[in-house]
Amino acid sequence: MYIQRILRRILTLLAVIWAAATLNFFLPQLAPKNPITEKLTQLAETSGISGNQIAVLTEAFNERFGLDQPLWKRYFDYLHDIATFDFGYSISSYPTRVGDLIGGALPWTLGLMITTTLVSFAIGTLVGAYAAWRRDSLLMQAVSSVLMVFSAIPFYLIGLVLIYFLAAKGGWFPISGGYSLFSIPGWNWSFALEVLHHSLLPALSIAIASIGIWAIGMRGMMVTVQGEDYMVFAKAKGLKPRRVFLRYGVRNAVLPQVTTLALFFGQVVTGAVLVEIVFGYPGMGNLLLESITLFDYPTIYGIVFILIVTIALSMLLVDLIYPLIDPRVRA
Amino acid sequence: MTTSPTVQTRVETIAEEAEAGSLRGVILGVGRYLRRNPQLIVGLILLLGLVAFTTIGRLFVDIAGAHPLAGPASQPPSAEFPLGTDPQGRDVLAVMVVGAWLTIRTGVIAGFIGILAGSAVGFVAGYYGGWADRIITWIVDVLLTVPAILFLVIISAMLQNGLTSFGMALIIALLAWRRPARQVRSQILVMREAGYVEMAKLSGSSGFSIIFKEIAPNLMPYLISSFIVAVAAAILASVGLEAMGLGPQNEPTLGMTVYWIMQFSAFLLGLWWWILPPVLILIVLFVGLYLLNAGLDELANPRLRKRT
Amino acid sequence: MTLLEVRDLCIDYFTSTRVIHAVRGVSFDVAPGERVALVGESGSGKTTTALALMQMIEPPGKIVGGTAKLNGTDLLALRGDAVRASRLANVAYIPQGAMNSLNPVLRLREQILDGLVDHGQRLDRKAADALVAGALKGVGLSPDLARAYPHELSGGMKQRACIAIAIAMKPDLVIADEPTSALDVITQKQVMATLIAAQEEIGCGLLLIGHDMGLMAQATNRVIVLQHGLIAEDAPVGRIFTDPQHAYSRMLIDSVPTLGKRAETAAPAVIAKPEAASLMEFDKVSKTFGGGLFGNDAVRALDTCSFRLADEHPQIISVVGQSGSGKTTLARMVLGFETPSTGEIRYRGKPMAAMRAEERRAYRREVQAIFQDPYGSFNPFYKVDRALSLPLANFGLTTQGGSARSRMEEACEAVGLDAGEVLGRFPHELSGGQRQRLMVARALMIGPRMLVADEPVSMVDASLRMTILGNLQRLKDRFSISVIYITHDLATAYHVSDYVLVLHKGRIVEAGLPGDVIERPEHPYTRSLVDAIPWPDPNRHWGTGAPDRAGWDARQIIRGQSAGFVLNAAG
Repeated sequence: MYIQRILRRILTLLAVIWAAATLNFFLPQLAPKNPITEKLTQLAETSGISGNQIAVLTEAFNERFGLDQPLWKRYFDYLHDIATFDFGYSISSYPTRVGDLIGGALPWTLGLMITTTLVSFAIGTLVGAYAAWRRDSLLMQAVSSVLMVFSAIPFYLIGLVLIYFLAAKGGWFPISGGYSLFSIPGWNWSFALEVLHHSLLPALSIAIASIGIWAIGMRGMMVTVQGEDYMVFAKAKGLKPRRVFLRYGVRNAVLPQVTTLALFFGQVVTGAVLVEIVFGYPGMGNLLLESITLFDYPTIYGIVFILIVTIALSMLLVDLIYPLIDPRVRA
Repeated sequence: MTTSPTVQTRVETIAEEAEAGSLRGVILGVGRYLRRNPQLIVGLILLLGLVAFTTIGRLFVDIAGAHPLAGPASQPPSAEFPLGTDPQGRDVLAVMVVGAWLTIRTGVIAGFIGILAGSAVGFVAGYYGGWADRIITWIVDVLLTVPAILFLVIISAMLQNGLTSFGMALIIALLAWRRPARQVRSQILVMREAGYVEMAKLSGSSGFSIIFKEIAPNLMPYLISSFIVAVAAAILASVGLEAMGLGPQNEPTLGMTVYWIMQFSAFLLGLWWWILPPVLILIVLFVGLYLLNAGLDELANPRLRKRT
Repeated sequence: MTLLEVRDLCIDYFTSTRVIHAVRGVSFDVAPGERVALVGESGSGKTTTALALMQMIEPPGKIVGGTAKLNGTDLLALRGDAVRASRLANVAYIPQGAMNSLNPVLRLREQILDGLVDHGQRLDRKAADALVAGALKGVGLSPDLARAYPHELSGGMKQRACIAIAIAMKPDLVIADEPTSALDVITQKQVMATLIAAQEEIGCGLLLIGHDMGLMAQATNRVIVLQHGLIAEDAPVGRIFTDPQHAYSRMLIDSVPTLGKRAETAAPAVIAKPEAASLMEFDKVSKTFGGGLFGNDAVRALDTCSFRLADEHPQIISVVGQSGSGKTTLARMVLGFETPSTGEIRYRGKPMAAMRAEERRAYRREVQAIFQDPYGSFNPFYKVDRALSLPLANFGLTTQGGSARSRMEEACEAVGLDAGEVLGRFPHELSGGQRQRLMVARALMIGPRMLVADEPVSMVDASLRMTILGNLQRLKDRFSISVIYITHDLATAYHVSDYVLVLHKGRIVEAGLPGDVIERPEHPYTRSLVDAIPWPDPNRHWGTGAPDRAGWDARQIIRGQSAGFVLNAAG
């Protein structure tokens, strides 16, 4: 049963990936602009190439990127390429391959997002559960109100506030970048420390809001669970409060949170685009922004495809994890 | 046989309780309720304050100052420019008055279209069911997997030249209907089975009148709450796109201000009067919408209602 | 010698403007080994009293006075960890919501052991296994269920598991709060037998909370009747049923219908003339849910059945069955809310599927219903008047503006409601009984030919049940309306109906006149149902026989036909 369901799920996922990838391919085709002409016109404005030369160059580029092929052929080439994770050359930073651009940016984003997400989930869930458990305490009501306010603010606005007070005014943190301009990336302690120093503020701006989000969600679930009959029975059994809280309350209230967490990982690539932009952090957010402003379609395709795959994988993750934590869906 | 004790002696009044229906009673009741639901009142105060800032602000501030070269560049706050000017010579206060208005307007337009289209689609799927439901649900599910930000980024990048903030609202509305459609559908699925809907059928009401007279009024609380959520999401999307430089180029929106702040390295230049106002206004806007929604949610669905 | 001595127990609930005295100076005793009933309608303070013994009153409630001595120790004076320690060890609690009282993510084994561990017992693996197996066997469950999760158990098994958990430490006093309210009658009887056996085994006192006087007569030694937070009567079970001293006790006892006292009103059974005009006809109708393209399992909700209800001879047909028996599916097909999977339903000789617009309109007006949940039947957005005025307007039953109001008032008075008191209010402002009587008034006002009453009294307080059923009977006599009464309760079916159908798993297993089917059941399933009815008479014992489950699939038994209702044998 379990295996069968997972297999069915994987098939559905492939279908979703295909549908989304197709949309991803055809949507830009509707654009009134030709990316190559656009790009070359831009070049022409800055370097003074004549109109004639542009036409020749356009043709050369179209041939190189296969843009002179009929649409259906380009579509099947595209499907074949993405199936092998080959996204071709970047237009704007030719001759770098899109795969290399993404490979350079992805670890930064994943490192930042996965760490902060896990840490904020753990802190937020526990704080939220406790806030519901001690609902009558004034301290917990105050904590809840603060968390509620934080949960409503977008990450990057918190980032701007943190930059202003802790970096620009306080000077304790760098204003921008993933590492200092003068150092050479490498696997050594001093560079690692530098990276940590640079990513602390972006991480903090994500964490402040997301702890609030997790805590408020958990608090709501925990309040619901506290009204359940099994909580009354647990208290009537004379169980220690700690056991009632953890094994009966949190254990049940956390279930929907885990689903949300898995789905959150689907947003890991684009979840903090603006934070990365605000902090000039060398991750996927900045890569995306660059490729969009320069109409670098191969790169955009690559990023979107990575994104679709992560979202699909996160949905699969939910299906894999949920039966492990909730016996009712194990069947 | 003994007589039964009466219910009346069981209830004792310990605080002033004005009679129901009187003005005094209503005021006392509302006051008591708001003490229990402070989110509603704080949210309303924040939002109304913002609306007042941008509407009343227009009467006192020259809006022409929101455009470049309206004054000297990068001036700190002074009597003439209470919030100073930016490096391109805009009056920051004027930019805030106009920008807050544009941002709120974008959110309301996109949210409204989203709710309207979403509830229509959700209604059809939920009430008629069958194949219509299956197809609509599948489309909504697939569209929900497509990352909204990319969709928006690509479209607004394509249309960027000549994009107005109204056009921006329309672009965002393209995606804003998905969640309302889903929520309305699931609500309809529940309400369709409600006893009063079956009673209305037995009373000879037509399908049309059941939708509009039985179901729709009960859907209102959900629609209002979805509307606020949709407005917040639309504002989040529009400000995000603008901050990436993909918004309307010639209008002083709040997101564009954030974009210019980053472009001009305002942090290095120490232009605090330029950085803090848009950030604060946006925070007030998001927190206000969130609290208003939480307060309304508590009003409609007292699950989280605190004890008194 | 007394085990529990409650004196002057007072519990208040505080709102921002008022104090509600929920329990007002309640005093009673429980002897060791004694089973005491705490009876009352909702809001009488019975559960509040019981929870107070474990100091489980949650704010805004507060115990404001009194003592409760268990073996000389005042339970209400315990403080701190002693409160927790006394639960389970001294006072155990079996909760009301059997369906949801077990933690869904823990195995039964852990839910039995965690209470013991938290009361300081140290058990090695082997001792723990033995203890869990013993506890499960003690309530008639297989020891293999130790590894089961709650969702793998049936309702009856869950309630047995709760009993096993509660008595694991051999407490001095067990409080059982409506332990069988969510179960069907057959399971109820078995679970009560298990509870009593376990209680006698450990010799503890039992405080059984409930509202069903019949159950109390069968299960307890002494009955305490609570009303408005005061004790109305406290008497041994032998006396309270024969000689109740308080009017309220008498009312509670009288509200339980018993067999054998049926007022014979129905005409003797005659075979309806085949040529008599039929009102509604089921021709080989069956209903299956699910299945089809997407391959979820098909469920047979109703097996093929055929019957004909004549236009003359209005009567009350009872359809009796437990949940899942198909009785509601039958009702919904009569109302046109479901279409049959096979066969044909005809109204006034016209197939329902082929009705023209005006025939459909007439059918809509002539076939009305009363549902189980009177609150859900009213649209919460409108005042209750609309439920009455809507059919008047839609069916064009009034022409002048003034007469709508007067017809509504008339209808209210016909069911014993004060029109001035109920009209112009919102549904949540009325009591359950008032709402349901308004629904009866609505049906009456439309003047249908046929009325489907789907469990019309199961969500109404006991004191009003017979009143509402009486309304239905008068409706039938006065306006010549045939009523299809859907219920799980054999006893009320016995009293109100002219003909009874017993449904089990979608099949009509037995049918006939109520005097035959319910007084002298022949089908093993009907016999199990009748045997499980708790009689409000301590001298008429419930019996200990187990239900004959193997025989429930035996073939259909039809005994006698009624005037105007012809049931064809299955096949």
